[in-house]
Amino acid sequence: MKHTTVLQVCVGFVLCSLQAMIVPALDCSGQGLEGASCTISVEKLLDRAVQHAELIYRISAESKMMFEEMFIPLSVMNPHVYGGTMCAPRTVAVPASKSEIQQISDKWLLRSVLILIQSWIDPLADLQVSLENYDNAPSVLLNRTKWLHTKLMSLEQGVLILIKQILGEGGLLLDGPEKTADLLVSPDIFESVRTDYSVLCCFRKVAHKIEIFLKLLKCRQTDKQNCSVF
Amino acid sequence: MGNSGLVFILTFIITLMSRAAGLSPPGRPRLTSCRSPEKETFTCWWEPGDDGGLPTTYALYYHLENSETVYECSDYKTAGENSCYFNKKNTSLWVNYNITVVATNALGKNISEPVEKDVAYIVQPDTPENVSAVVVREDQIIFVRVTWEKPRTADTRSGWITLDYQLRIKTEKDEEWEEYFAGMQKYYNIFSLHPGKKYMVQVRCKPDHGFWSEWTHTAYVKTPGYLARERSLWIMLTIFFVFGVLILTWTLRVKQKSVKLCLLPPVPGPKIKGFDKQLLKNGKSEDVLNALVIQSFPPNTDYDDLLVEYLEVYDNYEQELVLDGKDLSEDCLKSKSCLDSDSGRGSCDSRTLLLDKCTEGRDSSSNSQHYSQHGETSWASTESSECQVPEPGSPESVDGHAKTWPVVFSSPQPHHCQAYKPAYHSVPEILNLSSPRMTPISYHRLQHRDVPSQEAHFSKPTCRHSQSYHQFSLDSPEHTAENIVSPSRSMEYVEVQRVNPENVLVLRPLSDPEGGRNHTELAGEDYTKVKEVTSNNMLLLQTETSPQCSDNYSRGLDSQADRCSTQQQPSKPSVHPLFSPMPQEGMKLMGNGYVDSTLLMPSY
Repeated sequence: MKHTTVLQVCVGFVLCSLQAMIVPALDCSGQGLEGASCTISVEKLLDRAVQHAELIYRISAESKMMFEEMFIPLSVMNPHVYGGTMCAPRTVAVPASKSEIQQISDKWLLRSVLILIQSWIDPLADLQVSLENYDNAPSVLLNRTKWLHTKLMSLEQGVLILIKQILGEGGLLLDGPEKTADLLVSPDIFESVRTDYSVLCCFRKVAHKIEIFLKLLKCRQTDKQNCSVF
Repeated sequence: MGNSGLVFILTFIITLMSRAAGLSPPGRPRLTSCRSPEKETFTCWWEPGDDGGLPTTYALYYHLENSETVYECSDYKTAGENSCYFNKKNTSLWVNYNITVVATNALGKNISEPVEKDVAYIVQPDTPENVSAVVVREDQIIFVRVTWEKPRTADTRSGWITLDYQLRIKTEKDEEWEEYFAGMQKYYNIFSLHPGKKYMVQVRCKPDHGFWSEWTHTAYVKTPGYLARERSLWIMLTIFFVFGVLILTWTLRVKQKSVKLCLLPPVPGPKIKGFDKQLLKNGKSEDVLNALVIQSFPPNTDYDDLLVEYLEVYDNYEQELVLDGKDLSEDCLKSKSCLDSDSGRGSCDSRTLLLDKCTEGRDSSSNSQHYSQHGETSWASTESSECQVPEPGSPESVDGHAKTWPVVFSSPQPHHCQAYKPAYHSVPEILNLSSPRMTPISYHRLQHRDVPSQEAHFSKPTCRHSQSYHQFSLDSPEHTAENIVSPSRSMEYVEVQRVNPENVLVLRPLSDPEGGRNHTELAGEDYTKVKEVTSNNMLLLQTETSPQCSDNYSRGLDSQADRCSTQQQPSKPSVHPLFSPMPQEGMKLMGNGYVDSTLLMPSY
C-alpha cells in the first residue's frame, strides 16, 4: 500500500505541477520597466496628470470665451463682480500666493489639487445641465463642457492614485469634497447666464491653478532644488 | 487515503479516456491584442484555443493594479467576436489593467495568460479619412497633392492625442512603396513623380506613444504626360516655328531673284566678240560664224596701241641733216633711191616731197611764213628754213619754226617733206646730229600714245622730228658747223624701250642693238627731261648730263637763247614754248584729212 500511496502522491504532484504551470507569469507587456508590481510609475502618472491639467485649462479657457461671445454683452462683463468671492468658497484653505505655494510640501500640494478638483466636478455637471436648457447654445460648447467634466473626473482618479503612491495610504484620509452651496440654479435666464458665466470664469482659474501645482509637483519629483512657480 | 488515491486514479483515467475519445477541456485562449482608438476606451481580443469538441464559453476578467477586485468585462459584443470592449467609465489612464480570459466547457476551463495593459500605450488610432490625391499645376510645376482628414474618433482638437501621419505611393507596376512622413499636417505635395503614370496612395497615422494605424483605402491619381506637362513649351515652339516659316517665306519672296541667282547660277554665255546670241538662238550656226567673221576681223583699232612702240627712222637721209644747201641737193637726189615697200617707209613719199621742197626751199624763204600759219604745217617752215641752212637762219624763221616742233601729228605736207631730206633717222641718231648744245626735246612727244592708227603716221612724226631737229639746229648758226651729221646710216627701226620715270622715252634701235656707241652715249646725254610747264605754256626742260647748257629754244619774243650760254649748268632748265601762238582751237582738220591732235595735248 505504501507503494500505491507514493505513486498517488507522485502522480498527484505531477498533475498539480502541470496545472500550476498553466498559471501564467505576470505579463507586464506593454509597459516599461516597472519592477515586479507592474504598476505605472509615478513619473508617468505625473506626466499624464499634467497633460490632463493642461488640456483642461485650455478647453476651459476656450469655453469661457465662446460663452462670452455668445451670451454676455460687453456692458455687462465685469470680472470684478465675478472674480472675487464666488471663486473661493472653500472651507479648506488653499494656498493662493506664490510664496505660499513655494513653501508648501508635496503633501499639501497634492491635497490642494485634489480638493480643487473634487470641488468642481459637480459645478461642471450643473453647468452642463444649465447649458442644455439654453435655446441656442452651440453644440460645440456643450461638448466642451461635457469633456471638461469627464476629464476632471479622470484627473481626480489620477491624483488619488498619485497620493496613494507618493504619500502612501494615509494620504487619502481627507475630508470629502464639499459642495459649494453658493451656486444656485436660478430660474431666471439672465441669472443663469450670469451664473454659468461665473462658473466658467472661476473654473478656468482653478484649472490653471491645478496645472501649476501638478507641474511643480512633477518638477519636485525630478529635481527639488531648482523648482519654482513660474 | 485509499479513497483519495482511488479518486485520483479515476480522475486521471477519465481524463485520459476523454482525451482518447476526443473530448477535452477547452484549450487555452490567448489574448491577442488590446487596442484603444482614442485613449478613452479600449478593446481586447483573444484567440480561443481548442474547444475540445464541446461548446465552450469565454469570459474575460480583469483587475486593476494594486487592487484585488476582479471585474468581468461588461461588453462582449461591441467589438465583435472574442472581444471585450471597455467603455469610458471603465477606462482609466492611471492604472494598469490585468486581463485574463477564461475558457470553460463541460469538461473544464482554461485560463489564458494574464496580460497587463496600460491604456496610454495601446493607442492605435483609426485610419485617416477622406484620402484624396490630385494633380496640381503651379507656375509650370506639376505635382501631386495628397490630402486627408483625421480619424473621426481621435480627439486632436483638444490635444488629447497628437497624431503623426505617413503616406506611401507607388505605381501599379512597382513593387516597393515610396513612403513620406507628413508630420502633423493633413496634406502633402509629392514632386518627383513620373509623367503619364497612374499612382496609388495610402495614408496612416500614429499617436505619440502608440501604434500605427492601418493604411487607408487606396487613392488613385494619374500624372499628366509630357505634352500636357510641357504645354507652354510646346505652344511657344509652335509659335516660333510658324513665325520662322512666315519670315522665311517673306524673305524668299523679296529676295527671289538673288536666291534664284544663288541656287541656279546663270550659265555664262559665250564671250566671243561679235558673237550674237540671237543668231545662236535662232539655230543657224552659219549665221553665227558669219557674224563672227564679219564683225570682229580684222582687229579693230584697239590693238593699234601695240604699233605705237615701233617707229621707223631712216638713216639714209642723215646727210640731209647737214645744214648745207649743197648737201641737201645731193641728198635730195639720193633720197629718191629710197623707195621701198617696207612698212614704215611711207615717208618715202614724203622724201620725194622733201626733195622737191629742197629745191623750192631755197627759192623762197617766205614759205615758212606761209606754213607757219598752219599749226600742222609748221614743219614746212622748218624745211624751208632747212633749205636755207647754209644761210644763217634768221631768228625770225627760227621763231617761226619754233612753233612747229611740238606738232608731232600734224598732217605732213608731202611736198614739204619732199623738199626736205628724208627724215628717217633713228632718234638717237637724230640726237647725235645735234650738238651737245642742242636740246633734244622731241622725245617728249613720243610719249603720247594717241598716234594715228595708220602706220604711215609714224613716219610723219619722225619726219617732223628730223625737221624740227633741223630746225633747232638752225637756231644757233654758230653751231651749224657742229651740226654735221654723222656718217649716214642705214634706215632702221626704233623701238621704244621704255619710258623713264622722268617722262623720257628711251629708244633703242631694233636692228642694230649695238648701234654705235654714240647712241648709247647720246642716249644718256641727249635725253631731255621735261621738268615743268610754266604758266606761259613754256616747257621747262632739264638737261641731265650735259655740262653745257643746251640751246634755248624760245619762241616768240621771249627769247632766252642766251641764257644757258652764260650759265653753264646742267640742270638749267631750258624753256621752250609748248605750243604755237596759234590759238588752241582743238582739233584742226587739214586738207588732206589728217587731224592734228597735238593741240589737244594738255600742257605740262
